[in-house]
Amino acid sequence: MSEKVNLNVNGIEIESDPNKLLIEACEESGIHIPRFCWHKRLDPVGMCRMCLVEVETPRGKMLVPSCTTEVSDEMVVDTESDVVKKAQEGVLEFLLINHPLDCPICDKAGECPLQDQTMAYGPGESRFVEEKRHFEKPINISEIILLDRERCILCARCTRFSDEISGDPLIEFIQRGNKTEVNTFPNEPFKSYFSGNTVQICPVGALTSTSYRFKARPWDLKSTRSTCNGCSMGCSIELNSSQNKMLRILGVDNDAVNQGWLCDKGRYNFEYLNSNSRLKTPLKKIDNESVEIEIQDVYSELAEVIKDRQTKVNFLLGSNLTNEDYVAFREFSEIISQSEKSFYLNDDKLHPGLFGENVDLAKVDDLNSSDAIVVWAEDLKEKIPVLYLRIRQAVKNGVKLVVFGHTNETLSDIADVFYGKETVSENFEIVKDISKLKEIKDLVIGKNITAILGKSTPHQSDTSVTKLFEFLNSNSNSKVLNAYSKGNTYGAFQTLENVKGLNDFVNDISEENTDLLFIVGADPVGRSVYSNQIKSIIEGLDTVVALDNFNHETSELANFLIPMSSTLGEKEGTFTNIEFRTSRIDKLVPSPGQTVSDWEFITSLMNFAGLTVETNSLESLNKKAYENLDSSLSPVFDNLDKPSNLDGMVNVSKPKISSSDNNSNEAKFFIGEKLYGDSTTERHSDSISLLGSKKYIEVSEGVVEKYNLTSGKCTLIQDELEVTVSYEVNKSFPNDLIYIPTNRRELNKFDFSREIIITPSQVKEALNVN
Amino acid sequence: MSWDDKLLKQAKKIIKLYPQKRSALGPLLHLAQSKDGYISDDSISVISELVGITEVQVKSVSTFYSMYKQEPTGKYLLSVCKSISCEINNSSEVINKVQEFTGLNNNETDEEELFTFEAVECIGACGGAPALQVNYETVEGVTPENAINLCKWLKEIKPDVVVADEMQENFGGIKSFDWAIQDNSGATSTAPGFQTLKTTKVKK
Repeated sequence: MSEKVNLNVNGIEIESDPNKLLIEACEESGIHIPRFCWHKRLDPVGMCRMCLVEVETPRGKMLVPSCTTEVSDEMVVDTESDVVKKAQEGVLEFLLINHPLDCPICDKAGECPLQDQTMAYGPGESRFVEEKRHFEKPINISEIILLDRERCILCARCTRFSDEISGDPLIEFIQRGNKTEVNTFPNEPFKSYFSGNTVQICPVGALTSTSYRFKARPWDLKSTRSTCNGCSMGCSIELNSSQNKMLRILGVDNDAVNQGWLCDKGRYNFEYLNSNSRLKTPLKKIDNESVEIEIQDVYSELAEVIKDRQTKVNFLLGSNLTNEDYVAFREFSEIISQSEKSFYLNDDKLHPGLFGENVDLAKVDDLNSSDAIVVWAEDLKEKIPVLYLRIRQAVKNGVKLVVFGHTNETLSDIADVFYGKETVSENFEIVKDISKLKEIKDLVIGKNITAILGKSTPHQSDTSVTKLFEFLNSNSNSKVLNAYSKGNTYGAFQTLENVKGLNDFVNDISEENTDLLFIVGADPVGRSVYSNQIKSIIEGLDTVVALDNFNHETSELANFLIPMSSTLGEKEGTFTNIEFRTSRIDKLVPSPGQTVSDWEFITSLMNFAGLTVETNSLESLNKKAYENLDSSLSPVFDNLDKPSNLDGMVNVSKPKISSSDNNSNEAKFFIGEKLYGDSTTERHSDSISLLGSKKYIEVSEGVVEKYNLTSGKCTLIQDELEVTVSYEVNKSFPNDLIYIPTNRRELNKFDFSREIIITPSQVKEALNVN
Repeated sequence: MSWDDKLLKQAKKIIKLYPQKRSALGPLLHLAQSKDGYISDDSISVISELVGITEVQVKSVSTFYSMYKQEPTGKYLLSVCKSISCEINNSSEVINKVQEFTGLNNNETDEEELFTFEAVECIGACGGAPALQVNYETVEGVTPENAINLCKWLKEIKPDVVVADEMQENFGGIKSFDWAIQDNSGATSTAPGFQTLKTTKVKK
């Protein structure tokens, strides 16, 4: 620890770490300096001049911007002198010259830094009588973001975010001086997975989202802190609602996890909560027709099925459950029957992972403190977007990045070494001797490594990743972050014994061993590689109970369909993220109709069946979930609600995953998921429903040549099934590789272990050249 | 890519002069200016690909500097200085006469695409004020009459290369000081004449 420096601010002696910015040092000592452009997570620019303070120098007192001035020992600072006040008044008078003051119709009004600081530090009146600057009000800079250039005060927060943090600088200052505006390049919209963050950090109402625009006033909003369950990152979020409707999600600055940022899917994929298509009443299938039924009747009918405790029950659980939900199912299965119980997770890539004795598990923060990061996993930008941001941050701080595999091509532009198709074959095996790769010697051997490892595609052999790990483990000081990407997967690991994936579900489940199947928040028929097989299995079973938000391809097969409350704002619980950090999921809005939480459903069912359960409340389930942990350190509600634990509590445990290897060496396809798909929740979220609607595949250059593709479209044919898609050429793909995103409609209906015929399709537009 | 091979080859040569590709942005924009007479969105796309930054970042730089024109210019860019030394020495009259002759307001281009007129801030020729530039080739000590003569000459002869020394001799007056180097090379486009950019040519 380096020595502290002492400085005098407004006559008060304060202490600070050296090399800190003055504005930050003051903030930490409770002295607030107003600012617009400075943001803790962005590089300082000194654009707005709002943070001017007086500092004593050998040449007398001088006004300096505190966001670009570092502290030094014995510095004497005045943040409230008359000169500073005059400067602040001047800055605000200038900023307001061109600001339209359309606060009454502005979404930001009420939580607007410009409004607030004008009240607190402003001159009260303006001497400007000329015409203000005018721009077309608001322009769409992407499908979901709008920009009102009249309101913009040119703080450069959005442009810096897109350049420094998300790495897709598609907005910039255009022109100079009085004409300066933020804009995109013509026909090159601000298409970023992280664009919503710019709306959140905009200090005025210049950037707004189509999602929240004109929906509510900040003073009408109710809010609570929760955790996003969109992927395994578990970003801290603030939920906002008005009149019992969820209206907005904001990122909360959780230093260890998301540092305030969110991906756009996490931010806008809540709109389905308000959809009219949500299931609101239980449905029972009678003669192939769904009939509305009272929930009590569901309980009593199912109670009959399970009463004798000899019923063979199985579970197919999604990743959007809370830990308490998982525990409820575990308790249920323990009471009801068999000794050794498996739980099937809705994941077609589930693999045993690296949790052995010799594995040192990493935390997300280890990315910053290691010498190099080694990645071989699913495309992190698509699947765990905020982890991708954390990798970017680490690389910016000088950590080296070594990336394996064409699946992680999105990291190749910041990687020090990218081992693409020459090193990783189309069967997802490393085909070269890792120890002989030149850069590995320099960057990896003997160094502190954080490895992000996981399976890239369902048909990849489990051992291929293990080999890389073993090399790293014996040649470097390595820690591993297992990259399971789906929602609360780690919560399932923590609370359930013996979890398996969809490949095992397909092999294990049959009429003989299953009388009753629960499918909870999962749509494997609509969105997995095993779509057809799972469909026929489900159709062969006696009783299938599905719990879900919507009716979809899987839930429509069920005998009973129970409307489920959403984990996003409609129920309480806990969530465990990729580094086993457990944090709170909170409730803000009532869930519609007769929807129930999963744990409520299963507990009531047991009550109806006359089965005695101790865990009949959320609190008891929560305690049960962590009963093996030291009570003061366990993430039970009492502990999580302490202010010091709002960012979550880490309890690393090594889970038991008993999925089997589903490697088929003939895999010709790389099957993955894009961030935006067209799952039921996405389809019913207006803002992002269009973003994932395009049906397309990515192909290697070899494929284009082989099948003679020219028109930009091709048709995939297998048996009866024909799907026409557009294709994009990905130069980083090896030979004959075809990438198929299974979270886009229809594409998952193919049997990927067999040949799919590809024919070029003729596009009308291409023929009608005028 | 809308740049021909010759131009692309030239661009790559320029990029090699810098340790980082993006540092070549300025010269490449001048190159684009010499090609089209302005910075077209097409050129921006080409440059963005060449130096590996996004198109809007290139646009940001190109719109920041007023020497990169956003609209097509005429064959000759007439920049008359309006800063203080020239103003004291009657530059406003020079400006008036040039505007009268060409019929152009500030930053306008005539229909034949011959002249673009602009009144500019200091061009660093205070000693020889009032001064003007034709395609950034400076002429000092210009009287209103000589300014018109210069325009007439350009309109009549339409030289492909404009050379500062030549124009100075025919239309200029007092010079700030004698450079003592005979320079027969001049600008070939509305981009400044640089040897590496090949926007300059020796007049025979």
